[in-house]
Amino acid sequence: MDHACGQCRRRSRLLAELGVSLDYRCGDRARLFELLALSDEDLVGALGGRRGEELRRRYSQVHAKPVDASRDGPAVCRHDPRYPSALSGAWAPPMLNVGGAVDRLAELTAGPVVAVVGSRRATDYGIEMAKSLARGLAAAAVTVTGGLTDGIAVSAHAGALEAGGSSVAVLPGGLDAGCPARRRSLCERVMHRGCAISELPRDCAPRRWGQAASERIIAGLATLTVVVEADEDPAELAAARLAQALSRMVAAVPGRVTSPASRGAHALLMAGAHLVRGPADVLELLFDEASLGAAPALVPARATLEPRLRRILERVGEGGDTPDKLAGSAPNAAGTLLALSELELMGVLARGDGGRYVLRDAIAPRESAGGAC
Amino acid sequence: MLAQAHTFTIEGLQTRHVTVELDVRPGLPGFAIVGLADAAVREARERVRAAILNSGYEFPARRITANLAPGDVPKAGPGLDLALACAVLAASGQLPREQLESHVLFGELALDGRVRACQGTLAVAQATRDAGLKRLVLAGARVREAKLVEGIDVAAVERLSSAVRVLRGGAGDPPPPPAAHETSADGARALGAAGAPPDLNDMRGQHHAVRGMVIAAAGGHNCMLSGPPGTGKTMLAHRIGSILPPLSRPEAIEVTRIHSITGGLASELATSRPFRAPHHSITAAGLVGGARSRWIGEVVLAHNGVLFLDELSEFARPTLEALRQPLEDGRVAIVRAQHSAVYPARFMLVAATNPCPCGFLGAAERCRCTETDLARHRRRLSGPLLDRVDLLLHLEIDEAHDLAAAPLTSSRNARERVVRARERQAARLQDDGVTVNAHMSIRALKRHAALEGKGEEMLRSALETGMLSARGQHRVLRVARTIADLNGKARVGARDVGAALALRPEGSPAPSRAA
Repeated sequence: MDHACGQCRRRSRLLAELGVSLDYRCGDRARLFELLALSDEDLVGALGGRRGEELRRRYSQVHAKPVDASRDGPAVCRHDPRYPSALSGAWAPPMLNVGGAVDRLAELTAGPVVAVVGSRRATDYGIEMAKSLARGLAAAAVTVTGGLTDGIAVSAHAGALEAGGSSVAVLPGGLDAGCPARRRSLCERVMHRGCAISELPRDCAPRRWGQAASERIIAGLATLTVVVEADEDPAELAAARLAQALSRMVAAVPGRVTSPASRGAHALLMAGAHLVRGPADVLELLFDEASLGAAPALVPARATLEPRLRRILERVGEGGDTPDKLAGSAPNAAGTLLALSELELMGVLARGDGGRYVLRDAIAPRESAGGAC
Repeated sequence: MLAQAHTFTIEGLQTRHVTVELDVRPGLPGFAIVGLADAAVREARERVRAAILNSGYEFPARRITANLAPGDVPKAGPGLDLALACAVLAASGQLPREQLESHVLFGELALDGRVRACQGTLAVAQATRDAGLKRLVLAGARVREAKLVEGIDVAAVERLSSAVRVLRGGAGDPPPPPAAHETSADGARALGAAGAPPDLNDMRGQHHAVRGMVIAAAGGHNCMLSGPPGTGKTMLAHRIGSILPPLSRPEAIEVTRIHSITGGLASELATSRPFRAPHHSITAAGLVGGARSRWIGEVVLAHNGVLFLDELSEFARPTLEALRQPLEDGRVAIVRAQHSAVYPARFMLVAATNPCPCGFLGAAERCRCTETDLARHRRRLSGPLLDRVDLLLHLEIDEAHDLAAAPLTSSRNARERVVRARERQAARLQDDGVTVNAHMSIRALKRHAALEGKGEEMLRSALETGMLSARGQHRVLRVARTIADLNGKARVGARDVGAALALRPEGSPAPSRAA
């Protein structure tokens, strides 16, 4: 079953062929996206240089031989009805290679899609926030998308998988070679339940321009882009800026104002991005309030806790998140440690970096679910 | 004329009985030593000759052959000098031969005839008693060490002439008074550190870690200190000696014997536990032993004490892997081409490390390590070694406590609690052949740390949620048992289990860092 036409497949190969030239241009993203919007003929003219003639011979529509599609896996091009409708426009890639199934991609991108993006060097707060957002969204059957880069992006996929949901991963290179070895198993799990997509041929190694280009796919796919933690670095905010340029919704999760890791998120909020505190806020942005009742399967576990446990949980939330801060000079240190362990066993707390406790949203069993969170 | 003398040579930590057989007969003058002698023993020829002549005796101008029996044991070190010299004197008729039969002679000779002390005196004294010989003749400086062994007669000699007098039935020299630096207030000398160990009340803040350290000391648990630079990891580790209980007499003899052989101790019974802190450039052979010139490794020197590995992530991987056997069995088996041996190595491991390469992970968002850096750091630490750590203590940058804040406890108070907890453990564990909770077998654990009610439920759910492995569960139980002992409770309660769980080295079931 082939959902991609020969012309679009050739385009994908041509981009791989021009990788080095595109890498030179990826410092200026606007220029890169202009180039990517060019037709094959013009692209070869702009970037082909001395190889222009040869490339033109091999790839131009007139001289090309029919493309052998058996070498490539499933793919979908913009001439197919299954192609994600959000990716329409000259900036969008003409074709996507799909890891998983094309039908599933169509299914996943039919409804609202939320991109969870942010820093690669996230703090444990950011990682827990990204996971908890993705868990909540997955539980509400909203598709989560993002790259497979370290930090926030990977946590979002992991969170979605934890909640039994599916996500769409956008790779900066080909599906076979575009994923670093340490992300291989996560990538396979994502493909098993959701999809991994890439505009480059399967065997194409990840390239610098591919990273920038994958961000435009992420921003394009998403109805709403949520920045969880990002510094004020153009690279970390790229997806959010693209979403703004495409006039899609942009939201950000606030952090501590003193934390450099959240500077970019705060800048977005200052500029008018929506403020997101948890999955509920995202769902509220996506749907009208009336449809909220049935959607989330998260439970407000905190209300049912014993007072002594709730007190500890509140203190952790206030920033007293290490045993030393909680129990340092208290006479009842063992009691505090006991409470921390109990909360951890309930899944309400997790022990993060440096022995700090981080709040988690526990996923309640479905039968006891009800109400908004 | 033939003469025989008895002495001992040291092989690793063992002593081997050596009979010096010496034959003097007419022929071209010469002095040959046979019987697997190393360079130091072969050089004894020159020392013995000069010492005999400078002591006013006659060195026979004949053919002298010394045989060191048994011939298959390698002899090392200069301790055989005195026995060789006395055998020469006896074989040349300057000394009654029969006396040599019942004496052990152990000492190095100076060219002027003085007798110098050698390493391993305590081991030689024990071997003398075990061999049924009645008298040990050795340099005066080590007499007090030899007298720790009961049942033998020890004679101090300052010179070769004094040794001759002793062998003729006279008295030995009076032992020299102990040197001032060798004794402290309680008549003992700290191992590895001069003077009394620093006190726990130097610590400001870090109450959580200090509490954890007391638990570790009470149960003999291996522990790991993790925290940003400058938070006091090393400081805390150096204070562990001050809260560990004193050595019992058999332990003290064992420690003294080891350190006397390796030359780390001067002539007294050790009363404080060894504290070994090798630099992270140490090799595997240096750590466990087995190098040609350094056969005894740090783990053996840390026996009955503490092995402190600062900056654990900087140690070479093979070096850390080599620690697995000693940590598991409390002994180390070294096998090399020439030699193989099993040595005691029952120590408490204290490791310190930064939480990430830059050191500030989790501390006020100052860490700028990439995910790859963190993964590499974690790979270095994790694995089999971390599996044998019972407690993970986090230290943090602490703005709340300034240097004027009150310390949690003094070493004296902490030590009293530790000693009491250890007494309880020893009483309970006397049938199990161990003395501390950390070494409890699983069977003993089932008997002595049975849980009920909430505690049991917590442990079961920790196992079910993947928070603990089966091995981790045993570790938590051991630590919980120690916490109960510190509080003087007969049964392990939910509170003890909860605290032990909060101190466990494993991460959360869904680790914060994804995938």
